[in-house]
Amino acid sequence: MVLIFLSGGLFLGWSLGANDAANVFGTAVGSRMVRFTTAALICGVFVIIGAIVSGTGTTLTLGKLGAVNALGGSFMAAFAAGLTVYWMTKFGLPVSTSQAIIGSIIGWNLFSDSYTDISSLLKILSTWVLCPLLSALIAALLFTFAKSLVRKVSIGLIRLDGYTRLALILAGAFGAYSLGANNIANVMGVFVPVAPFQEMQFGSNFSISSAQQLFLLGGLAIAVGVFTYSKRVMMTVGSELMTLTPLAAWVAVMAHSIVLFLFASERLEQLLANMSLPTIPLVPVSSSQAVVGAVIGIGIIQGGREIQWPRIYSIARGWVITPLISCLICIIGLYFLQNVFQQTVKRESQYQLSAGVLEKLQEEGINTEGLDTLSGSVFYSSAELVRVVKEKVDLSGRQGLKVVEYSLQNRLVINSEKIDSMNKQILSPQQLEALQQLEGQNYKFPWQLGDALGAISEEWKLRGGGLKNKLHDRKIKQKLTYLYRIFQEREK
Amino acid sequence: MNPLSLLFKKQYAVEEKVQRLLRHLEDMAHQYQAAYEAYLDGSIEEFSQRNQELGEIEKELDELGHQIQMTLLHESLMPNSRDDLLWFLTKLDKVPSSFKHSLGDIVLEKPEIPEDLHSSLRNMLIHTHQAVQALAHATDSLFSDLRAVRQHVEEVGRQESEVDKLEHKMLQSVFENENYELAKQYQLKGILKQIGRVTNLAEDVADAVLILATKHST
Repeated sequence: MVLIFLSGGLFLGWSLGANDAANVFGTAVGSRMVRFTTAALICGVFVIIGAIVSGTGTTLTLGKLGAVNALGGSFMAAFAAGLTVYWMTKFGLPVSTSQAIIGSIIGWNLFSDSYTDISSLLKILSTWVLCPLLSALIAALLFTFAKSLVRKVSIGLIRLDGYTRLALILAGAFGAYSLGANNIANVMGVFVPVAPFQEMQFGSNFSISSAQQLFLLGGLAIAVGVFTYSKRVMMTVGSELMTLTPLAAWVAVMAHSIVLFLFASERLEQLLANMSLPTIPLVPVSSSQAVVGAVIGIGIIQGGREIQWPRIYSIARGWVITPLISCLICIIGLYFLQNVFQQTVKRESQYQLSAGVLEKLQEEGINTEGLDTLSGSVFYSSAELVRVVKEKVDLSGRQGLKVVEYSLQNRLVINSEKIDSMNKQILSPQQLEALQQLEGQNYKFPWQLGDALGAISEEWKLRGGGLKNKLHDRKIKQKLTYLYRIFQEREK
Repeated sequence: MNPLSLLFKKQYAVEEKVQRLLRHLEDMAHQYQAAYEAYLDGSIEEFSQRNQELGEIEKELDELGHQIQMTLLHESLMPNSRDDLLWFLTKLDKVPSSFKHSLGDIVLEKPEIPEDLHSSLRNMLIHTHQAVQALAHATDSLFSDLRAVRQHVEEVGRQESEVDKLEHKMLQSVFENENYELAKQYQLKGILKQIGRVTNLAEDVADAVLILATKHST
């Protein structure tokens, strides 16, 4: 059953591999510089590495938009996105996997009456516009630099040709890595909260988390898509890109890869944060639109004659049409899956505004004065909860998400059996010691465990306030999410 | 060993063959000038020997050109660059043939070249030699330093212009000289045109070199 449900994501991964690999190796294969099998091998390997190593950041952002909490729901979200990509490609309409999955998640949120964080949604929407613009800017700068470099360096035609080939292959590998890192969230992101796998331990130092296992599967699905179906797309895209000079084609692939990398790299985010610079949101973006943006950027540098306005209009059209279609398919699909096939597409959750929760919300800067009348009230959907709270107090999108997070009831039981069975490698000795001190405790709300751990050990404390601590806090939250999963009381 | 030389072994091999081809071309230009001068000096034996050597160099050059074409067709150069290079080699191939045809006319017709034309003709041969040498340097730069191509191409143009001027002046003096019969005038015209053709071709090929250099460095 698990595999059947996962097939939705695998289908989406396959179609992503079939379509988007052309953006990174289209030029090299289309111009027959690199054999298809070589390109597919490099692409497949680097997509998987990218997905496993750097796929977490974008997945967390998707998770904020909507945490699909049942395997059936995840299946339908991924399947609806896959179907949208397939149909739109078939009808020759511009399509992006990233935009399709966002539509699906919103579809699930609407169907399950879950809260949609508008600030996260706006953040994602802004990156769709930013992605081709940034790609155009990077391509224009890179093209100017590369051109002046070629003019300055003493090099002959054959060596220039050879170096360009090598550069195209390396750019392709980087592009595949970035594609895996950025777009794996589209393929497997919706399955992460309901990951059906146990952590795998290899020796004492190496383990693969359930999310990484999902990413590996998703990466493999993308690789299969590359091997089985991308050749034709590569030849088509390659011939389109080949109207560019080899240098310009390399710039297009590099700009695309850099943009995907920028929107996926947690390490870069950390570096920027350490330098007190604004960080780039980790969001899945469209690979095809990044390439089109890069080609436009090169066109502008060359005098602007190459700008293809119809392609720009089609990109903008895709921003609206793709998520709408995907959202609609997802809602209809969820209805049928739940009512015709009797499958669970959403897990019933309870949200309670207890006194403790209200206190916690106050700590987060939320005005709780008008919420006393709601103390003790239980809600069965996050959207309803936020609606009711909003009637009493003003809430930003982010605060709405906090209300949902803190009032979600999910009983945790800390016992020695679970502590023994968990993967202790991810915790520091101090963190583990603090956890062991809590043995025998029960918590009604997951955040209470986080607070209890923070009270015992500095290493569990969230620092908050500022970009520099963002990654530190994110790591602790990831560990806490893992603990919530492990110590969650199973339904009897 | 430089890891790049391992990685780009095939490319370096093509470059090495092109270098050899260019040295042959320069040798041909030298033999051509030397053969013509021997003929003007009346040393027919040396002329024949030089002509024979020129023929042998041309054969080697042909063979080398063929090898380069086959390498380009079968090895992994980008199609865009490969097509450009094949187009260029076909153009370059016409220069050695023009040397051969020019001397072939001398062998066949054994023209009597009037003494008063010798000095200008020798000058024309020097400029022809220099034009082909500049072409070889331009081509060399195409394969080693794209930036340096333009200056060599301009040099080819300058030498061709000198040859043109000399050719025109000599043709004028030939046709103004009433002592020459019409047949003689036309025979000399043909010989001068053949020499002029060598530099015209050299200029054509140099232009192609410049087009390729510009195309591939932008």
